[in-house]
Amino acid sequence: MKTMLPRLVFWGLNLWIFAYTLVLGLALLLQFTLGELPCPLCMLQRYGMILSTLAALWLVRQAQTGTLTAPRYLQGLGLGTLGSFVGAVFASRQIMLHILPGDEGYGSAVLGLHLYSWAFVTFCVVILFTALLGIIAPVALPEAPAQDSPAARISSALGLAFLAVVATNAVMIVFLEGFAWVLPDDPTGYALFGQ
Amino acid sequence: MDIIILFLLLFIGLAMWRGAPRWLVLTCWFGALLLMIGLFRFHVTSSLGLSL
Repeated sequence: MKTMLPRLVFWGLNLWIFAYTLVLGLALLLQFTLGELPCPLCMLQRYGMILSTLAALWLVRQAQTGTLTAPRYLQGLGLGTLGSFVGAVFASRQIMLHILPGDEGYGSAVLGLHLYSWAFVTFCVVILFTALLGIIAPVALPEAPAQDSPAARISSALGLAFLAVVATNAVMIVFLEGFAWVLPDDPTGYALFGQ
Repeated sequence: MDIIILFLLLFIGLAMWRGAPRWLVLTCWFGALLLMIGLFRFHVTSSLGLSL
């Protein structure tokens, strides 16, 4: 079991990247298909997810290139925890805005919870996950599969998929924000088309 | 501001992917974090009305 742990931790980091790529991709899908435009706090939560996942991407990349050391691993976990904590603060603010009885919330609910509530749950999960990885760090430094193996290609594809989702968000925000300095509180259309 | 933050996040990701120097990655990461906190402070101007 002890010899399997480094590999499990490596794929756990990949799972972190995959999960947030999926969440960010679904948020974009809801935005483009249902026309649910993100509010400023929604976008801040997306930034929190990206900032947190960048830490996982960095750890995976260093493991792949053989440059990951124990201090660098713990530094990466710290970055991931901090990114998730900030995202959780953003999400909790939006939850509080709609917590009073009778308030229908912002946007549509998925499985009974609004997207900002789900975002808060995911941030908490990541914080717990990084805490667990920190606890077992002395016996489980991530170990990447051999280069050019199918497993290594899957891991690289996950990283590139995450970067593609970030790039899509970057292009989308240009259309949404237009020439304004910040997003309006309740966006009603893509500002670049309306200006 | 959102455009700057997202393109900075994209730059950080690409820099990590291409093995950029650690000081550059860390500086940009914390820069993005500060910009996000600043944007949050800009948008959150009212106190929460949690009393009925």
